[in-house]
Amino acid sequence: MKKYTKYYTLFALLMLLCLVADIIFGSVSIPFGDIIENIFLHGTSDSISAGDEYVRDILFSFRIPKAVTALLAGIGLSLCGLQMQTLFKNPLADPYILGVSASSGLGVAVFVMGGTLLGLDMGHPLFQIFGIAGAAMAGAFLLMMLIISLSHKLKNNLSLLIFGVMVGSVASAIINLLQYFTSASSLKMYVIWTMGSFAGLSPLQLWLLAGMVVVGVAMSVCNIKDLNALLLGEQYAAALGINIRGVKIRILVATTLLAGSVTAFCGPIGFIGIAVPHITRFIFRDANHKVLLPATALVGGTMMLFADLLTNIPASGNVIPINTVTALLGIPVILVIILKNRV
Amino acid sequence: MENMLLEIKNLSLGFHIGKSEKVIFDGIGAQAGRGEVIALIGSNGRGKSTLLRTLVGLQNIFRGTILYEGRDINGFSHKELSEMIAFVSSHTERANHLSVKDMLGINCYYKTNWLGNITEADSAKISKALEMVGLEGFEDRNSFDLSDGEYQRATIAAAIVQDSQIIILDEPTAFLDIANRFMITKLLQRIAHEWGKLVIFSTHDLQLAIDMCDKIWLMAADGFYNDTPCSLMESGAFEKLFDNSKMVFNKLTRTFEVKD
Repeated sequence: MKKYTKYYTLFALLMLLCLVADIIFGSVSIPFGDIIENIFLHGTSDSISAGDEYVRDILFSFRIPKAVTALLAGIGLSLCGLQMQTLFKNPLADPYILGVSASSGLGVAVFVMGGTLLGLDMGHPLFQIFGIAGAAMAGAFLLMMLIISLSHKLKNNLSLLIFGVMVGSVASAIINLLQYFTSASSLKMYVIWTMGSFAGLSPLQLWLLAGMVVVGVAMSVCNIKDLNALLLGEQYAAALGINIRGVKIRILVATTLLAGSVTAFCGPIGFIGIAVPHITRFIFRDANHKVLLPATALVGGTMMLFADLLTNIPASGNVIPINTVTALLGIPVILVIILKNRV
Repeated sequence: MENMLLEIKNLSLGFHIGKSEKVIFDGIGAQAGRGEVIALIGSNGRGKSTLLRTLVGLQNIFRGTILYEGRDINGFSHKELSEMIAFVSSHTERANHLSVKDMLGINCYYKTNWLGNITEADSAKISKALEMVGLEGFEDRNSFDLSDGEYQRATIAAAIVQDSQIIILDEPTAFLDIANRFMITKLLQRIAHEWGKLVIFSTHDLQLAIDMCDKIWLMAADGFYNDTPCSLMESGAFEKLFDNSKMVFNKLTRTFEVKD
């Protein structure tokens, strides 16, 4: 384990660096001195100028929550991808391969667009805070229940993958239908959710996301032993006398919680879940999840913060969507995997 | 028999297609004890793998009874079964960057803590097992880069580490050259005779089975035979191995010949 200490330290520092950079840089440029002053010295000076208040507002209600959200999303999606790839022995498995994003999307679509069709009052505060997230979580967990109840039929991984693709197709068909009949405003609300964003989480939502990600990470850590046992295939683990059904359910619950909560609050964010575990394996060169799991969390958090940082790069006051950046970062990795085909 | 470990009573192999049943092999009955090496012989499609998978508990019993130390297999918990039997497949999947030590550590599943940390004692056991199979000092090697023969030996070492009373292997010598085949069979013999374990493996290599095994389970066209290699040779049971009557067993060379 000792030989990895320098890598862990390096990525911990990189993550910290990206976190700080993500707070410093934004569409509005704030001098570094002002940021330090407002974060660490606030409350010490008697008078607060209007400028300080403006800076503080940007920092505490926007940039810091946004950076923390990005960090949580990066950790959650990467750990989910790692466990999926091991469980299915498939290098291209990711949080979305089982249709988690599709079913979350369906949940949101039914809620946002179906709700107005049914005449629900979307302006209700409870709906505004938890409506979309709750619908996405419900969609993800319903899918998980479906998979677990069918798991004795979906014995091999290929049928499970095909099942995921089919769920995705059915979901997008229903979403299309809803889009056709819904009002322009709810359609816009849905489309904005699908674009993905780390911004705009209220403190309560952020705490909720953090809570769920922490529980998901804790469950993932408890899965380490089972994940290692799955490295030589399901058959090997079964022959060893391991309760495969129980292991599968534990991994599915952890991954659904991680991917479901992140998707619920940030929208479907692609490519991080699939790319980060590969980057981590490439750097650490160890299949043991005791090494790989914490490493993936570190690399995932760093990558997502870096991606979020890049959304501001044009520095023109415009922000590009996070999914564009994650695709540009993630797709080359996926191509390399396919071309090298050595997992 | 005093040290009897395994008893198979009137076992049938088969599967269900919808509501109808298809029986592959009928009337398997055998007993086996500690310290024995048993070869399972049968032509392709006779159900060798199915029998082994059923013995290991990977497949439900179609009909009949399997007893370990007098207890029905269905009454075993996952952990108890893993302490009773280790299974080695002929083609275990590989994982890149999985060190040989971590690979063998997987078989300590029921002995390690919640994180799967390998204890000093298990670590020593892993080194010992590797030494036994001729892979001394391979602990930190990437299991993905081992040759087929080395990898097969590593999977046998993993079964040794599991420390079960019985080791069952499905064609452990398939895909291997003659030197590796001999080495592995010799190793299985040592595991049984020196350590008092029961070793059961399937093979197509009849000559090797006759030379090195204490008993042969023969899945022939007309039924199941369970006897020593010599008695089976005397009784002419090997003649019934193939449906094809043109295959004749030559007792002198211990090989099959094609009759013109």
